[in-house]
Amino acid sequence: MSESEGSHGIDLAPMLDFVLNLLIFFIITAVFVKESGLLVNRPGGAVTAGGNDASSVSLQILASGEVLFEDRVIDIRAIRANVERIHAVSPTKGVMIIAEREAPSGYVVQAIDQIHLGGVYNITFATGQ
Amino acid sequence: MLSRRHVPESEDHGIDLAPMLDFVLNLLIFFIITTSFVKDPGVSVTREQALTAEHRDSGNLLVAIRENGEIWMDRKQVQVHELRNVLEKMHIERPEDTAVIVADKAAKSGVVADVMDEILRVGIREVSIAAAPEGGR
Repeated sequence: MSESEGSHGIDLAPMLDFVLNLLIFFIITAVFVKESGLLVNRPGGAVTAGGNDASSVSLQILASGEVLFEDRVIDIRAIRANVERIHAVSPTKGVMIIAEREAPSGYVVQAIDQIHLGGVYNITFATGQ
Repeated sequence: MLSRRHVPESEDHGIDLAPMLDFVLNLLIFFIITTSFVKDPGVSVTREQALTAEHRDSGNLLVAIRENGEIWMDRKQVQVHELRNVLEKMHIERPEDTAVIVADKAAKSGVVADVMDEILRVGIREVSIAAAPEGGR
C-alpha cells in the first residue's frame, strides 16, 4: 500500500537540478546597472530652417572651454541664471548648444545640466567650427 | 511486517522539496523577468557629473567614447562608419531600446555628435548623453 502511494508522485530531483542551473545562470547574467543620462535633440533637417531657430537661444562652447551665451562670454556656472532669466520671459524657448568639434564633451554635459537646472528641457545639440 | 514498518521511515528520511521548489521557481521567474539585455561597451570611462541626470529605463544600447576618440560598443572597438551596421542589427532585434552615449569628459564633442547622428539615422528615437549622478559612483 505505502509503496504504491510512494510511486504516485514524480521524481522531482532532476527537475530541481535543472531549475537550479537555470536560476544560477540568470543570477550570473543579471545586470542591475542602469545608465543615467541627459536627453538632447539633434537638429533635424527640415524643421530647423524656420520656426525652430527663432524660438531658441544659442549657447556656444569653444574648444578652450569658454562659454558664449547669446554671444556674451559667461562662466559655465552662470548658464543657469541666464537660462532662468530667458525662461521666465518666454517659457517656450529652447536652447541650442553649438559646441566646437574640439570642445571636451564634459563641458557639454555640464552645460546641459545647467540648462536643465534653469528650467529648460528643450535642448538641441549641434556642432560647429 | 518488518518491511512495512521500514518503508515510511525511509520516506521520512528525505526533506520535502516542494516548498523549496516553489521558492526556487519564484526566484527563477523573477530573474528571467528582470533580465535586461544591456549591451555593455566593455571599457570604463570617466563621466562628467550632473545633478539632473535621469535613469533611462530602456537605455540598453551603450556606446562608449574614450578620451582618445575610440568608439566601443558591445565589447568591441568600432569605427564611426561601422557603427551603423552594428546598430542596425541591434535595433532590429530590440526596436524599443534607446541609446545612451557614454562619453569620457575629455572626449571631443565632435565625435559625440557624429555618433549621435549615426544612432538617429538608424531609427532609434532617443539618444542621451550619460552623466554620473552627483555624489554617486
